Amino acid sequence: MPFLIDCPNCGRRSPYEFKFGGECKRAPDPGADVKAWCDYLYLYENMSGVQDEWWYHTMGCRSWLKIRRNTVTHEIIEE
Amino acid sequence: MPTSQPVLRYKQPEKRYDVIVIGAGLHGLAAAYNLARYHRVGRIAVLERRYIGFGGSGRNTEMIRANKRAHETLPFYKESLEMWDGLSAELEWNLMVQKKGLIALAHSDGELAVMRMLSDSQRRAGIKIDMLGPEEVKKMVPSLDVSDKPALPVAGAQFHPEGGTVHHDAALWGYAKAASRCGVDICAGVEVTGFYVEGGKVNGVRTNVGNIAAGKVHVAVGGYSSEIARMLGVKYPVVTIPMQVMTTEVMAPFLDYYVASPRLHWYTQQTLKGDLILGGQLDPWQSWNSSTTWQECSERVAFILEYFPDLAHARVVRSWSGLCDCTGDSAPVMGPSGIDGLSLDIAWGYYGFKSTPACGKYAAEYIATGKVPEKIRHFGLDRFYNRQRVREIII
Repeated sequence: MPFLIDCPNCGRRSPYEFKFGGECKRAPDPGADVKAWCDYLYLYENMSGVQDEWWYHTMGCRSWLKIRRNTVTHEIIEE
Repeated sequence: MPTSQPVLRYKQPEKRYDVIVIGAGLHGLAAAYNLARYHRVGRIAVLERRYIGFGGSGRNTEMIRANKRAHETLPFYKESLEMWDGLSAELEWNLMVQKKGLIALAHSDGELAVMRMLSDSQRRAGIKIDMLGPEEVKKMVPSLDVSDKPALPVAGAQFHPEGGTVHHDAALWGYAKAASRCGVDICAGVEVTGFYVEGGKVNGVRTNVGNIAAGKVHVAVGGYSSEIARMLGVKYPVVTIPMQVMTTEVMAPFLDYYVASPRLHWYTQQTLKGDLILGGQLDPWQSWNSSTTWQECSERVAFILEYFPDLAHARVVRSWSGLCDCTGDSAPVMGPSGIDGLSLDIAWGYYGFKSTPACGKYAAEYIATGKVPEKIRHFGLDRFYNRQRVREIII
């Protein structure tokens, strides 16, 4: 297992219990133009380093978590 | 032919080039070779921060095929598959091209229906494809278990006779040698750290060994494309995910075909040397770490053993993973980048290796003429903004 995710409800668990939800992005304003929405939908920072990302605890409490993780070393950064 | 001379010499970069290619993998070297051989563009350099073939070019599973879905892109993959045939002669280097045939297994009626649909698209594009029943598959691959013992028995298969393998290191060195012979400077250990862009036009790159001026820069960095994007202050529609591959010890020849299960995400082939290459599932999350993950590898092995029970004694001797930069529509990004003089050849994620010859040809054509060739017209970044995403399957 490359790393463990600290779920506030279930404790430290295997990442295979979770569904990876991708990097956290900021949605554009509802009135933003189509280009801004396409950017939001399709483009990724795809960080090689520390990024904030969504994880869904499918096999646990079924809640969405925001995790800060280093995508190169798999280190979870605790707040 | 054995030779005491090195097949190529690394060079120190000069201060000015006409074209700089970033990334000495298969795509970068193929583009540089095609530019030098077929187009008059002046001096060309390939800059590589590690060594040639460090990334996906040295970490793939050597599979070549054209059994895709989208009608926009099938002619491109077909041409690439055909180009491998003449490439050994052209590069004067034996690439060990072996079109042994690819068998993709289906495990249910639903999957067979999808495969029939795919087969129709492929036949229409002129790609040879056949549907097989379980008994026919058994005749071709006697070691395969087509009984109802596996949890998901073999219901049928799609046969792609022109699919096969090419030795990836041979292809890499063939292109490197040919490019070098055509006057391309291959510079290893040169890391691009930034770009000079003025008035929407690229003027050169910043590297760890100084600035290099160039009017045209081609990005062929494989899984590392988002690092280039950050230098340019843009984002690309890719997420980097590693894919796992293993190889076993050498065995007597028993497997004549490339066998795959698209449903269970495994494929296997016996190389000319005799070892089995086992793959290949993308990790379930984004990662820039190319170490082996136990979960993905052990699942692949468990699935393969269900269908090849006689392999239970075989030992896995090596494993590796490579970074794939994947787009949402499983199609690559080629052509203009939005910056004058800067061209892209990225997001090849899952099938960059098999597309190398055609990619080199069309990337070179685009760099030399500035016009997007018809066959890569659908691979542009603009498709994400004008509802023209490619309707591709995942593998």
